[in-house]
Amino acid sequence: MSDEAKIAARGITRTFGAGAGLVHALGPLDAEIESGEFVCIVGPSGCGKSTFLRIVAGLIPPSEGVLSLGSDGGQAPLAAVVFQDYSIFPWKTVEANVRFGLDLLRVPRHEADTRVERSLSRLGLTEFRKAYPGTLSGGMRQRVSIARALVTEPQVLLMDEPFAALDAQLRHLLQDELLELWQEDRRTVLFITHNLDEALLLGDRVLVMSARPGRIVGEFKVPFERPRSGDIRRSPEFAAMESEIWDLLRSEVAAGIPATGGTKVPA
Amino acid sequence: MTAVDLQRNTTSRRIERKPGPVERNPRAFMRRRRIIDNLLRIGAPILLIVAWQLVVSTGLLDRRFWPAPTDVLLSFQENVATGRLAEALVSSMTRILLGYLIGSVAGILGGIALGVFRPLRIALEPIISAVYTVPKLAILPLLLLLFGLGDVPKIILIALGVFFVTIISTIAAVTSIPEGYLEPARSFGANRVQTFRHIIVPAIMPDIFVALRLAAGQAVLLMIGIEFVQGDEGLGYMIWNSWQLFLADRMYVGIVSVALVGVVFQTTVKWIGQRLTPWEKPRN
Repeated sequence: MSDEAKIAARGITRTFGAGAGLVHALGPLDAEIESGEFVCIVGPSGCGKSTFLRIVAGLIPPSEGVLSLGSDGGQAPLAAVVFQDYSIFPWKTVEANVRFGLDLLRVPRHEADTRVERSLSRLGLTEFRKAYPGTLSGGMRQRVSIARALVTEPQVLLMDEPFAALDAQLRHLLQDELLELWQEDRRTVLFITHNLDEALLLGDRVLVMSARPGRIVGEFKVPFERPRSGDIRRSPEFAAMESEIWDLLRSEVAAGIPATGGTKVPA
Repeated sequence: MTAVDLQRNTTSRRIERKPGPVERNPRAFMRRRRIIDNLLRIGAPILLIVAWQLVVSTGLLDRRFWPAPTDVLLSFQENVATGRLAEALVSSMTRILLGYLIGSVAGILGGIALGVFRPLRIALEPIISAVYTVPKLAILPLLLLLFGLGDVPKIILIALGVFFVTIISTIAAVTSIPEGYLEPARSFGANRVQTFRHIIVPAIMPDIFVALRLAAGQAVLLMIGIEFVQGDEGLGYMIWNSWQLFLADRMYVGIVSVALVGVVFQTTVKWIGQRLTPWEKPRN
């Protein structure tokens, strides 16, 4: 373990509520993510993986432990988040949504124009730039969300089940697109998913979390070489690895069922 | 066609799903629908007025209490010519608009403040709810006592009526902004002003315009009530005074004018709202 990791989590826990209603949602959790690494976290529903991402994003503080992020000292924001849904603003056009982070950072107009332009075209949104999100399909909205995060060129990209709300075919397509996008600039990514196939396709490393309270119970280095393409999904090695992770995860998912029965942990 | 025919047809024929007239020529269909909609929109009130005229001129209704549309129209012309209507309209509208403006600005700003600052909300929301239920007209005498007989107490009362409708809706709108809109702003490091501008204001806009439309009705109602009981100008006074003088025609001129003011007022607010919230898709 080194202190130079881009993201270092030490003994992170998080509880919600107090007294009789206290819910121990997460941890203790230790993890390190290196600069330029694409790490996927998989785990059963309600295991606290989104909570962990929110702690990394600085949206909620941990109850215990320390999470540190190494900054490269540049102008780029430390982290940007791609949320699962509801996160792009219905009152802003596609273009204005993408521009949002740049506006907050007070990026000069001309530069912002160029960056928004590039970002729109990278995600195939140029022709919808003036449309409101309400008129777009789920896949297009999630592209807007990704463009909004990427345009700020964050040092760390945090993705919270970004494709969970999409149908299987669309998810497949966007996974391939994300793979290509990431391979162009290889920034540090923390990607939360409950989809093993997605984790293996995209990640350099897959961390498996236990049922609530979530801890890291397994770590898998993904051996497939970069640049990858969606075709590796069909290789026998891919299937073998998927079933290996599933063997570990299955007991956790099963363990999570009676414990979560009816009650939902704040995500 | 007999039952036997039907039987035979269903077995021998295939059921087809084909494009209908709408799908074959959507533009013509839309145009036709627009024409029909407009006919209905204009035709319905005209039909109503014609029916009214017929019922009165055939003597089914007493003309002294139910003057025919033509009588009202004559009286309308007369009141326009003497300038009485314009005068009443101007003094009523001035009060309404001033009161509405003051009340809604105060209500929206107050609502945002209470929505954003929790301690303020906890302290003041119960008081606001309590005072809201007091009928505004009940405090008119108090305001007259405090501010005299001029326009000031009337404007204050209208402003109060508008204020409560808008502040309550605005608080509700601010506190129900989904976390999902606030979190991205926080994750991009938005400060208070930026959050306000990019998230809070647009997010509450649709609800505020609903409140503003309700408040417009409230404002007209209060103004007429006030003018009934106090003063000698405005549309409310015109209606009340016509009753005292047993001038049913003129009374209807007043009532119809108030109705028109209400419609125009509300439509204008709605129109502005639609312009300011282009992301809201109205369903027809």
